[in-house]
Amino acid sequence: MKKILNTGLLCLMLINLIACNTKNSDKTTAEKYQCPMHCEGGKTYDQPGTCSVCKMELQPLALNNKKKGEISELSIYNLPSKWTNQNNEEIQLKALQGDVLVMVMIYTSCQTACPRLVADMRGIEEQIPADKKDNVTLVFVSIDPQTDTPQRLKEFAKENQMDTEKWVFLRGSEEDTREFSAVLAVSYKKISPMDFSHSNIISVFDQGGELAYQQEGLGINNEETVSKIIELVN
Amino acid sequence: MGPFFKLALTLLGIISSISNFAQSEQMVSVKGGTYIPLYGVDSTAVTVDEFTMDVYPVTNKEYLKFVQEYPEWKKSKVKKLFADGNYLVNWEDDDSYGSQLAADAAVTNVSWFAAKKYCECQGKRLPTVDEWEYAAMADQNNPDARTKETYNQLILDWYEAPKTFNNSIGSTFKNYWGIYDLHGLVWEWTMDFNSVLISGESRKDVDKDSNLFCGSAAVGASDLMNYAAFMRYAFRGSLKANYAIRNLGFRCVQTTESNNKNLTY
Amino acid sequence: MFLFINGNYFCPYKGQKSPLFFNMQPKQNIMNAKSTKKIFLLLVLMAGMGSLILSCAKKEKIVYESTADIPANREMIAELTAPPHVPTPVGDRKAKLLKVDMEILEQEGEMTNGVRYVYWTFGGSVPGSFIRTRVGDEVEFHLKNHPENKLPHNIDLHAVTGPGGGAESSFVAPGHEKVFSFKTLNPGLYVYHCATAPVGMHIANGMYGLILVEPEGGLPLVDKEYYIMQGDFYTKGANGERGLQPFDMQKAVDEKADYVVFNGKMGALTGDNAITAKVGETVRLFVGNGGPNLVSSFHVIGEIFDKVHVEGGDMINENVQTTLIPAGGAAIVEFKVDVPGTFILVDHSIFRAFNKGALGMLKVEGEKNKTIYSGELEDGIYLPEGSGIQKMPSTNGVVESEIPAKSMEEKMTFGKATYMQTCFACHQGEGQGIANAFPPLANSDYLNADVNRAIDIVLHGKTGEITVNGQKYNSVMTAQTLSDEEVANVLTYVYNSWGNSKKDVTPAMVKSVRNK
Repeated sequence: MKKILNTGLLCLMLINLIACNTKNSDKTTAEKYQCPMHCEGGKTYDQPGTCSVCKMELQPLALNNKKKGEISELSIYNLPSKWTNQNNEEIQLKALQGDVLVMVMIYTSCQTACPRLVADMRGIEEQIPADKKDNVTLVFVSIDPQTDTPQRLKEFAKENQMDTEKWVFLRGSEEDTREFSAVLAVSYKKISPMDFSHSNIISVFDQGGELAYQQEGLGINNEETVSKIIELVN
Repeated sequence: MGPFFKLALTLLGIISSISNFAQSEQMVSVKGGTYIPLYGVDSTAVTVDEFTMDVYPVTNKEYLKFVQEYPEWKKSKVKKLFADGNYLVNWEDDDSYGSQLAADAAVTNVSWFAAKKYCECQGKRLPTVDEWEYAAMADQNNPDARTKETYNQLILDWYEAPKTFNNSIGSTFKNYWGIYDLHGLVWEWTMDFNSVLISGESRKDVDKDSNLFCGSAAVGASDLMNYAAFMRYAFRGSLKANYAIRNLGFRCVQTTESNNKNLTY
Repeated sequence: MFLFINGNYFCPYKGQKSPLFFNMQPKQNIMNAKSTKKIFLLLVLMAGMGSLILSCAKKEKIVYESTADIPANREMIAELTAPPHVPTPVGDRKAKLLKVDMEILEQEGEMTNGVRYVYWTFGGSVPGSFIRTRVGDEVEFHLKNHPENKLPHNIDLHAVTGPGGGAESSFVAPGHEKVFSFKTLNPGLYVYHCATAPVGMHIANGMYGLILVEPEGGLPLVDKEYYIMQGDFYTKGANGERGLQPFDMQKAVDEKADYVVFNGKMGALTGDNAITAKVGETVRLFVGNGGPNLVSSFHVIGEIFDKVHVEGGDMINENVQTTLIPAGGAAIVEFKVDVPGTFILVDHSIFRAFNKGALGMLKVEGEKNKTIYSGELEDGIYLPEGSGIQKMPSTNGVVESEIPAKSMEEKMTFGKATYMQTCFACHQGEGQGIANAFPPLANSDYLNADVNRAIDIVLHGKTGEITVNGQKYNSVMTAQTLSDEEVANVLTYVYNSWGNSKKDVTPAMVKSVRNK
């Protein structure tokens, strides 16, 4: 009897230990190269070589070094949390590594601030030059995962005509959501079965997942946010 | 009984000394109920489900065991995303809190991430603000002593007593639920500390709440005389999850089995 | 001997002020000399170089449509000073990028002898460090919250144009530092304070100070400048009760202050801490009121303010006796001191001054001017009500001091504390008394002759003529509300000081006199 209890306990402990260990899964992505003189603007090559204009040797892009798995201590890619996107696919934040991220926390049934935050995000996206759009991903993270099922997120994306690759809608567990908000310094509180009050912060992360800029407030001038994004993409 | 099995049993003994089982002996149950928080939804009552809470805050000694088991949380190893430069700043080094700190004093200078992880690794979690406030409104004999002047003065006095963070756990009173040191030693982390929107953060352009300054602090508060609670809410509002502060520690709670689904942060 | 208070001295400020109308000679002597020189130089230059200079000089004087347009170049570290001192005047310096470094400290201090209090401070003093800027400065404010502190704090500067006066951007947890910046748009004298909830408590514990924004070219120079700020304090124990006194929330809510003081404690501006000036000098006081509750009726006994920047703003009122300083407000007062003596600064809500501590001193040295002031009364006579505390005579209900003295040494320490609080004002620090008003306790034949008489006078007061060391005195000393323990301590202190007969007075001796 005691043995069984002990073995049971041991199992429990093991489960605990595993649950606590965070694993780093490496995701390899193709490296990109660019002319150091930017002769062709932001044009990148998938392979090393020389620039067709100035003949200088192409250099690997710094961001791609980050992409190769080396992330700084301040990177949000250190977070082990798992999320589900609008296509009902399980992803880790790491999957987004390599792009400049523009993030905001909302909930889809929100009537007051969120539609305006969505509009702000759209406004930011529109101001990103066409040749840079590929390097930017815009992410919505739900603070109401109970209501915001993947189906709901999908509908929401369609309603807002954001059902393309560069828009990502995420939901996670209550706990992971709370943790993520802590990283973003976003505060939120459920104030009724339907509603949350929350801070309105749009955050920009660099390719390595480090927080680069935060825009606070509703419907404010997003010039600085946009120029920061462009600066990061370059 | 083969030698391997013996080894396994010894191992088990070591592990279980820090396991849930051993810890839960140090926990007590707090019966559910309703209370009106200082800040909430139009000052309506909040229901708190039954939960169990650590009798004492987590100590230096206990935390040392934790970092030895999870070296990524050692003073020099912790990732900056999860703890700022003050993390365990008063510890001597990675494997010792040194002679200046008492083994049975509450561990402080730990970030929210660290506290959260510690609790998870004990099979527990951090308390919510509501749970913490609900448990902490008790004095020795009453589950809700907030209107008592002596109770309030006791809490206020703490703010004037220096260096309480290094006092031993259990050196303040045992409250109605059997919990020690909710007041009088250190501040404590809560899971949803960042649900305090009424704070000094400049990033609080929210629809309903006012901030915690001057006149607006009084707007929406349910009990204007509860200065101690004002201070706790203000303190939480000043925090970020990676902050590690001299007078801030934590303790863990567990959801009671029957109602573990309904937790909202 | 002992504390005699002549009835006349209760109204010492009646009929003692000489009007200053005939004394309105220019006050900014320095300034006048300077500008004369400047004009002279300019004339020479103009003669030499003709209209070129003129046009250049004209160009230099750019008038900005809005103070927001004044450019600020060059960095500068702000000089911060603890009260009663103020930093160097800005003079004619250009607007700069001014870096202010301020540390918040929660620390224990002394409210008055034997009474300890935990102050929350900006820069380690109450009021907090004085910040001096000029209009157009771009202030980069670094607010540091010491790691040992228990609470988050912030700063709301009334000189800031922006939400919360900086409170929101400066909200800082212990062990952290916040930086924010602002441009000073409006000249004036402004209060700053902590605005973290519970705001009242943060202010009541001393978290306030002054920031001065000088106009272009600076305020006219004067001879002496000082920084004074009034505040009300609420302690668990009554006024004078020894030991570490916690903040009393209920008294604060009821606005029943135990202490109303200048610069954070009783005696911060009296005795050796008094501010000073010389006859003929112009004194400028930057006076603020931190509150949290009480409005100050600021008055200097024996002076008339030549100029008052009403509420710290542009409007200047002249020839003012008492100026009202609201809680969270300030005023700049200026006056020329014409005669020597000790001038008492009070909140003219007079019980605050005499019973709760709102009292300071300006000591003026120099030649007497009998035309302005005859000098019939000696300097220092306002002291009686001075730094001491008058207590209502009471026949019963004397509270025993909680901490009885255990040794002779302690007796002396406690006795001295009581002396400084109760007797010092009249009988003075060395027991020398004040000629013609209060008899000496030092080397006193009257004192040494009869110990029971001495006890009796402390307990019940004394009226009528007595002779001490050959001098006649005829005053009134009120009965003192002291416990047997305290009377024993203070008399033991007196008897063992200044060449007296070294008697040891015990509580039992006091008790027997009291029960007679």
